[in-house]
Amino acid sequence: MNIEPIIKLENVWKIYQLGKTELAALRGLSLEINPGDFVAIMGASGSGKSTLLNMIGCLDSPTKGKIYLKGKNIVEMPESQLSQFRGKVLGFVFQEFNLIPNINCLENVMLPMIFQGVPLLKRKEKAEEILKMVGLGKRMIHQPAELSGGERQRVALARAFANDPEVIIADEPTGNLDSTTGKMIMEFLKKFHKKRGKTMIIVTHDPKIANYAEKIVNIKDGQIVKNHSVAEEVLWKT
Amino acid sequence: MEDLKEYFRIAFRNIKTRRLRSFLTVLGIVIGVFLIVSLLSLSEGLKTTINQQLQAMGGKMIMVMPGGEEDIFTSMMFGGAKLQKEDIEAIKKAKGVDEVLGISYTGTIARYKDESKQIAMCGYEPWKEGLDILSIFQGWSISEGRWPSKGNQLLIGPYVANETFSKKVKAGSEMTIKGKKFEVAGILNSLGSQSDDSMVYMDMKVYQDLTGEKRGTAAYAMVKLEEGADENIVKTEIENSLEETRKRRTGTDVADFSVITSEKMSEITGTILGIIQVVIIGFASIAIVVGGIGITNSMFTSIRERTKEIGIMKAIGAKNSAILSIFLIEAGIIGILGGLGGVLLGSILAKAIDYYGQANPTFYFTTTISPWMIIFALLFSFSIGCLAGFFPARSAAKLKPVEALRKYE
Repeated sequence: MNIEPIIKLENVWKIYQLGKTELAALRGLSLEINPGDFVAIMGASGSGKSTLLNMIGCLDSPTKGKIYLKGKNIVEMPESQLSQFRGKVLGFVFQEFNLIPNINCLENVMLPMIFQGVPLLKRKEKAEEILKMVGLGKRMIHQPAELSGGERQRVALARAFANDPEVIIADEPTGNLDSTTGKMIMEFLKKFHKKRGKTMIIVTHDPKIANYAEKIVNIKDGQIVKNHSVAEEVLWKT
Repeated sequence: MEDLKEYFRIAFRNIKTRRLRSFLTVLGIVIGVFLIVSLLSLSEGLKTTINQQLQAMGGKMIMVMPGGEEDIFTSMMFGGAKLQKEDIEAIKKAKGVDEVLGISYTGTIARYKDESKQIAMCGYEPWKEGLDILSIFQGWSISEGRWPSKGNQLLIGPYVANETFSKKVKAGSEMTIKGKKFEVAGILNSLGSQSDDSMVYMDMKVYQDLTGEKRGTAAYAMVKLEEGADENIVKTEIENSLEETRKRRTGTDVADFSVITSEKMSEITGTILGIIQVVIIGFASIAIVVGGIGITNSMFTSIRERTKEIGIMKAIGAKNSAILSIFLIEAGIIGILGGLGGVLLGSILAKAIDYYGQANPTFYFTTTISPWMIIFALLFSFSIGCLAGFFPARSAAKLKPVEALRKYE
């Protein structure tokens, strides 16, 4: 069985220049993620896990190394192509929701589809459908500020799902939520993964959240210390 | 094209939903453009007004005014020292002088058909011969009625006849000034200057009775030369004659005199218009720089504070070009809105000044708003808006999404 990985990192370095000192957030990291995987990236704060996620999500470029997304080296891709590609293949969920504050939920969900050139009517129909799916059918014309944290994150989920991306990237998606709402968000992600077979990559430091994943990647000092499936070993229970 | 429509929609949305911010940005631009439009229209108006004043004094003649040549304009626009009776006698005595016309003017209230309005009244001496001189040298002509022959008759400018009162003043009708009833004998054709056209002309004796000014004095004098006399020679004669009178009258506060030939007058006109031109350009450039900086500043902050939003849009698939287009459209719209507001406010100010000038004929001032000025103001605010929007938007769009997202957290 030879599956082509959807994401592949080869010897990736990210070095930040802080004044005169250099800080290596990623040190020659290599990683493969197959289509349909549910991966949790874990590590202490400062371990480089968010940097890694930004690399995978083409939000940032590495200092050295190659990153393949669907077989294409995104490091060499020009920005105009990259944004198109990013909008189509990836869906993002952020810790602080990152909704556009002055437009309503429906418009927030429609936004990524605009950049993919989806016509207005179809866009609206799709956005309404997804918002209903995450249980916000009645709150569509509310502004983000009028919603609770959990509701906002559900809008963000809907936005991430809007273009039906192959990979969902979530950076501490439950970090700003209480455990009940956090659980609800995770259930949605899990459902999306199960039903549609999408690839999920979640950064978290919370073992309970990592529990939803099928694979765990442990990061320390910019390197992978352990890469294992949940069934093999459960480190965090103790 | 489809994309562009979407970007327009988003840009409009941005402006609408960020109402206060957009309003303040537009306000910044309005003030800039207002500054430009009002300064330009005022200085253009100043140029027109002074040009009119100067051109009204045509013909080959000599003017005698109290005060030195350097303050000609102060004494012309606002009045000042007066020519005394002795001065006028002295001018008459000078060689080559045929006739001396004394002229005085002041603002007053005139009543016509139960309506009172402020007008400027002007007295001439001698009344009958004066009219001859004025018709020959200043091109006065009657459009309606006849030349006045009696002291209780008036000659009015076309502006007074047509605009000042709500009802048009007809020749032969009655007008009351300072309690004295006059007959409007004739209406003049336009003399080409609004200040001259909005005057009411009367016999100097009557004028002095009404105002209480001393007999024989005048604000300034126009001198008609004898046939074949040389302007410059007569000028010297007049100056010498005035000097002598002055010496005899030591102790009185007589200021200098200015004796100006028509040749000299056009020279002064040229110099003054040149200076005004330079001043206009100076004012306009200051206004443009200040206005431009205001616009740039508003646009810059408005975009900078949304760097994170730009980061989000990039993360969900917006191309740099899409972000740039959205912000350019937004900046352009804001620029145009600000431009329209500024033009409107500037025009209102200009009109208000015009209106004030018409209601108070002693305050001779007109403003000029030309179409090119409006077009310039709109184009200026639009392009400055776009330009000021372009650079911050481009630098924000160029950021890696992760950097844009991290900003202002």
